[in-house]
Amino acid sequence: MSKEIDKSVDAERLAKALHFSNTMQTFNLAKNNLKVKTQTLLSYSAYGGTFVISQEFIGFLNAVKSAGKKQAVILDKNETPIKIEDVADFLDNVLSVYFEVVNEYNNDYQKLKSSRKIEKILDIIV
Amino acid sequence: MSKGIIILANNTPEFDYASIAGICSDFIRANMKQFDEIAIMTDASTYKANKSKINSKFDRVIVTPESSSINVRIFKDTTSRSVKAEWKNLSRTTVYELSPYDETLVIDCDYFVMSNTLDQVWGSKSDFMINSSFVDLAGRMDERVMYVDEFTIPMYWATVFYFKKSDYCDTLFTLISHIKNNYQYYCFLYNCQSGMFRNDYVFSIALHILNGNVANNVPKLPIAFLNNSFDLDDIYKFNSLNEVIMMFAKKSNTTEYLLGKISNMDIHIMNKKAIMRHMKDLKKLTTKKVTA
Repeated sequence: MSKEIDKSVDAERLAKALHFSNTMQTFNLAKNNLKVKTQTLLSYSAYGGTFVISQEFIGFLNAVKSAGKKQAVILDKNETPIKIEDVADFLDNVLSVYFEVVNEYNNDYQKLKSSRKIEKILDIIV
Repeated sequence: MSKGIIILANNTPEFDYASIAGICSDFIRANMKQFDEIAIMTDASTYKANKSKINSKFDRVIVTPESSSINVRIFKDTTSRSVKAEWKNLSRTTVYELSPYDETLVIDCDYFVMSNTLDQVWGSKSDFMINSSFVDLAGRMDERVMYVDEFTIPMYWATVFYFKKSDYCDTLFTLISHIKNNYQYYCFLYNCQSGMFRNDYVFSIALHILNGNVANNVPKLPIAFLNNSFDLDDIYKFNSLNEVIMMFAKKSNTTEYLLGKISNMDIHIMNKKAIMRHMKDLKKLTTKKVTA
């Protein structure tokens, strides 16, 4: 009798574990696609060049600005030399895109982290 | 400098590409702002049969002659269904000479623009931009570059590309036409994995030759990679013109699905049957947007 109870408890636990596994797969996929979206949006084009916005790029631009350069030629993501006419303004714009994208990532991520159900993760009304 | 987007669509008995292209243009208008016109490049029979629909959705129509040869391929619709159908993809190589714009962005009709990232192409110093990297949004593959063959050159995706009227592009598209006209030879030379005519292969081979037959660094589009949903995936629902919920086939078992929300990011949905299934909802969604 007790063995039978054990078996049903085990099956219940297994079903729960599998359900949880499915939720985790959905969660991980959503997390990964948020990362992909952030990578896609962290791009800024100006003066005919396209730049990938990273913390290193922001640090580099800040170093250029701190060195007192008002104009500078830098390489864009395709290794094309691009003349930046106004370094300070360019840095401001890059920073603004960076925080806009990363704040959106943070909001989406917090929402994802606090959701326990797939329907909630995806905002699906069932 | 005129800036135009060209969508290519040629109807086949199996697929209504003209309708898909109309939806694609609605997505572009909702999310991109810095272009002058959206044009459709289509064959005479597709235009004749869908004249009012096409005229209402596009600023310009570029009619191409009917193709004399027919390409046939298998279209998968998740793991459960597949259909062998016609595929008219031979006109893409002529887009350079037919484009009336100084700057042109060519987009496949199954590429849904859900962000303004591609607006960054306008005014670029690069004459030609295309991507080779892609991400499988289902997570079955990591970010990667596909190759024409394991031992040959990287494959560039002709799904989205940008070009400027320039000497470089003039030469590139002349070469592209030459490769198209001698496709079997180049396919054999580059050990192409499939014998079927693919624009991706033609563009990749031309870019390789133009770079002096060495591996090249072709300027990439502002999008870091192409966000692909392959034909094993299905669409659950379009929530808005910048949000879709997809049913992604699982890596461990492609007959099972994981739901995933894609928002504010472009997506290339390769399952055309799935798009066709959602056409009614998509039309409602785009009409709502227009009237709002």
